[in-house]
Amino acid sequence: MTKERSTVTDQAARVLAAFGGVGNIVDIEPCTTRLRSEVRDPALVDVGALRAAGAHGVMIAGRVVQVVIGPSVDTLATDLEDLM
Amino acid sequence: MHLPALKYMRVRDYLRSLVTHELEVGDVIPSERLLCERFGVSRMTVRQAVDALVVEGLLEREQGRGTFVAPSKVDLEVRLVSYGEEMRRRGMEPSSLILSAEEVAATPDVADALELLPGEQVFYLHRVRLADGEPMAIEQSWVPCRLVPGLFDDEVPDSIYGELRRRGLDPEWGEDTVAASEVDARDAALLGIRVGRAVLRTTRRTFSGQTACVYSRSSYRADRYVLWVPVRAPKPALTPRTTTDARPAADEADATSAPSPHRSHEMIEEPT
Repeated sequence: MTKERSTVTDQAARVLAAFGGVGNIVDIEPCTTRLRSEVRDPALVDVGALRAAGAHGVMIAGRVVQVVIGPSVDTLATDLEDLM
Repeated sequence: MHLPALKYMRVRDYLRSLVTHELEVGDVIPSERLLCERFGVSRMTVRQAVDALVVEGLLEREQGRGTFVAPSKVDLEVRLVSYGEEMRRRGMEPSSLILSAEEVAATPDVADALELLPGEQVFYLHRVRLADGEPMAIEQSWVPCRLVPGLFDDEVPDSIYGELRRRGLDPEWGEDTVAASEVDARDAALLGIRVGRAVLRTTRRTFSGQTACVYSRSSYRADRYVLWVPVRAPKPALTPRTTTDARPAADEADATSAPSPHRSHEMIEEPT
């Protein structure tokens, strides 16, 4: 396991925690540069923690949370899948 | 009440097809009389159809001369290339009219887009973008000073993306937003269009790796641009598995035989 690999996995764990944990997630869709997620309770989403985990922006509208990640979003989604 | 609307739409859609498939730029469209006869409608209905296409920018009216096929619109592609590169690729000669090139303190919105603190120094470039001498868009760009020291020292560079590449900060990805808007008096004068005409207002954040490099805001003439967006079906969404306690053994086996290598929580906690 390379250093880069584990950094991304660490990012996945932090993103998941910032979403309010697996229990708060309805689904997550990787979308070119963003993670688009539907959550059960948007109040449990920690925007500061998402920014600290490398997000370049967080948009919340109702129960839909969009997190700007960049092209590495597909790798991140693969890692998130393993943690879910 | 539905019939008049349908009549005008039939004429409009016929003309649209004619313009896109049979006529060339600058060709005159069939006369009002001919269109009235062909569709069995009034002059008013024909005018309504033509007006709609003039507003869309497909046709242009010249006082006393008639109605002609307007120059085709440029695809505004959501690609990470500079205006100049895009125009040259289309066989048009790009040029710029520089309105302002200075070092300023980042306002909160610019700082946010560039992941800076408000007040940090940024290079600000305000340009009218032209193609073959015709104004096409107005662009404001902000670049953090610490990324590109001395950007304006010699002369204002033609291409910000070119300068970034020269300094090892290749633009790699970004995000655009596009909104329709009416042009204000100042921008209308710069673009050579009437006040209140439509423009496409875009914003762009450009990144090199994890570094926010450029923030820009542009207004494109809606009569010269059409937004082109590739679309495809979304990737399957990830959904949580059932809770660990309730997860049956078969599900566990599935997870380990999944195409991506299964990583345990222990591995995540490994020091990096």
